[in-house]
Amino acid sequence: MQPPAEHVHWLFATGFLLLGLCLVAEAVVGTEVWRRRAWRAYLWPGLAFGLGVLMWPVMTFFTNSTLHMLAHGAWAEVLMGAGAVELALVRGKLQSPAWRLMMAAAFAVSGLAFLVHEQNTWFFQRSSFLHHLLGWTLLVAAVFPLVRSVRPRSHVAAAGFALTFVVIAVFLYCDRDVAPVFGHLSPLAGPPHR
Amino acid sequence: MRRAVIVATLCALVVPAQAFAHATLERTSPGFQQRVSVSPGTVTLRFDQYIEPLPHAVRLYSTRRELSVPEIRIKGRELAARLPRLRAGGYTVRWHALSGDGHVVSGVFTFGVRAPAPQPTQAFGASGPTRTEDVVRWLYFLSLALLVGGLGFRLLVARRPLPNRFFAITGFGAFATLNVGVAAFLLRAEDALQLPFGRLLYGDLSPMTRTRFGAVFIAMTLGFAAVAALVFLAWLSDRDVFLWPAFLLGLGFVSGLSLSGHSAADAGSSWKSELADWAHLSAACLWIGGLVQLAFVVWPLLPDARRTTFLAFSRLATVCVGVLLLAGVYLAILRLPDVSDLWSTGYGRILLVKSALVALAFAWGGLHKLRAVPAVARDSAVPRLRASIAGESMVGMIVLLVAAFLVNAKPPA
Repeated sequence: MQPPAEHVHWLFATGFLLLGLCLVAEAVVGTEVWRRRAWRAYLWPGLAFGLGVLMWPVMTFFTNSTLHMLAHGAWAEVLMGAGAVELALVRGKLQSPAWRLMMAAAFAVSGLAFLVHEQNTWFFQRSSFLHHLLGWTLLVAAVFPLVRSVRPRSHVAAAGFALTFVVIAVFLYCDRDVAPVFGHLSPLAGPPHR
Repeated sequence: MRRAVIVATLCALVVPAQAFAHATLERTSPGFQQRVSVSPGTVTLRFDQYIEPLPHAVRLYSTRRELSVPEIRIKGRELAARLPRLRAGGYTVRWHALSGDGHVVSGVFTFGVRAPAPQPTQAFGASGPTRTEDVVRWLYFLSLALLVGGLGFRLLVARRPLPNRFFAITGFGAFATLNVGVAAFLLRAEDALQLPFGRLLYGDLSPMTRTRFGAVFIAMTLGFAAVAALVFLAWLSDRDVFLWPAFLLGLGFVSGLSLSGHSAADAGSSWKSELADWAHLSAACLWIGGLVQLAFVVWPLLPDARRTTFLAFSRLATVCVGVLLLAGVYLAILRLPDVSDLWSTGYGRILLVKSALVALAFAWGGLHKLRAVPAVARDSAVPRLRASIAGESMVGMIVLLVAAFLVNAKPPA
């Protein structure tokens, strides 16, 4: 028995929202204030790593198409990898700021996975529109972690990085065709099925 | 209160759910691998979305040939095919339909009429493991050796913190185990579904997950994702407390290969054959993974620890070789009851090649045991010992390659 599609989007959206809010708080109060309690430094990288681990059950249990399985696998790996690198940077296990490029790579790979696994046009149906939007948002927003890796004190990069997660969370909350009011955008997609 | 909120949030995140855009098969009649007592009049497939008809949307096969399907109709989310009267036996249904989102979705399932249904991996048209699958299986063995053998070496032999290269090797092993596992699953699915690459992307893999192989794929993927996380946490926190569960979980999930291979599925298999197969594979992983750590971590980076680790590894290797021999001989007798099977069957001939290579590896290890161990124990220098250890590990890896061919070969009935 599998729960409906929307639930997983909402659950991961909640995870990304928490992660984004942590980053927004850090961007607002500044890193020094945010890290006065040491555990706070581990909060958002730990969440990213945990969300990556939790993506593996999604990949393995929902195998109704190869493409989705591969996309979920890609998200699991880049989330785990990017979270792990950020945790290691906080802990001091990794020193070079170039490691922050891993997050930029994770954004790019995640965005590409969204775009590749959605082969319909933007206005085919709501989920198609949001998949395109998610993909391009992540690809464009990859510039924020890129800037963070060369200018760690940039407020614009920190704010943009934090807001990207909040925006991703909002898109994921809206991603499924559940309520009839949203419906399909194209008649080719047929009547709403839930 | 704060703790309760954190726990509730984490619990909510743990529950996964479905995420698909195109038509997904919800149920079929007859069901996946169902055994029915009378010939079914129709095959029905129910989807979660509306679908459009395609030519030959349902094709029916007996174990020998394709059978004609007199009528196929689509009504809303349901695809139905009227069937001819079927004799007792196993049947394969291959289907494809145009999903509401414009993609062609495809799949396969099997059922049996007064007979057991074939596994999807043995559906009509499936040709069995290919050379690519042999190579992937070998990479799977190598990854497991790097991961499980590396952890075993750290905990049972070195018993002290090792340089970061240890984590780099075991971490790579964990990463490779996960990815090679996915590749192995997709290659099996490709053979069962018999689809070109473009259509395989929209192929329904769910029947595969209901096989023993699929269940093992799910368990091993989740298990090794947890192992990867634990290895990372051990590196991050410098705490051994994460390494023990990682090692034990890894060792436990290695059994997945034993529970889905010949030792579990073929005639004569029992819990004893499964246990022997697991012990055989685990011992090989510990031996080869340990040799890699010894040659590429301890020897170049920890000169002061060479003596103690070499002597400790020598003791572990002796146990591993004993387990490998005992389990291997038991499994060989089980799968090849007649001695002549060794040269008269393909499986037997591969086993002979493997045995010859294993003998070479044992001889190499024996040389280390008889010549190098006493010298190292006396603190005498042994020239080119590191190269020799690396050479032994290479032979072990070649043994794993032949073992991959052996696992994918069919033993004589």
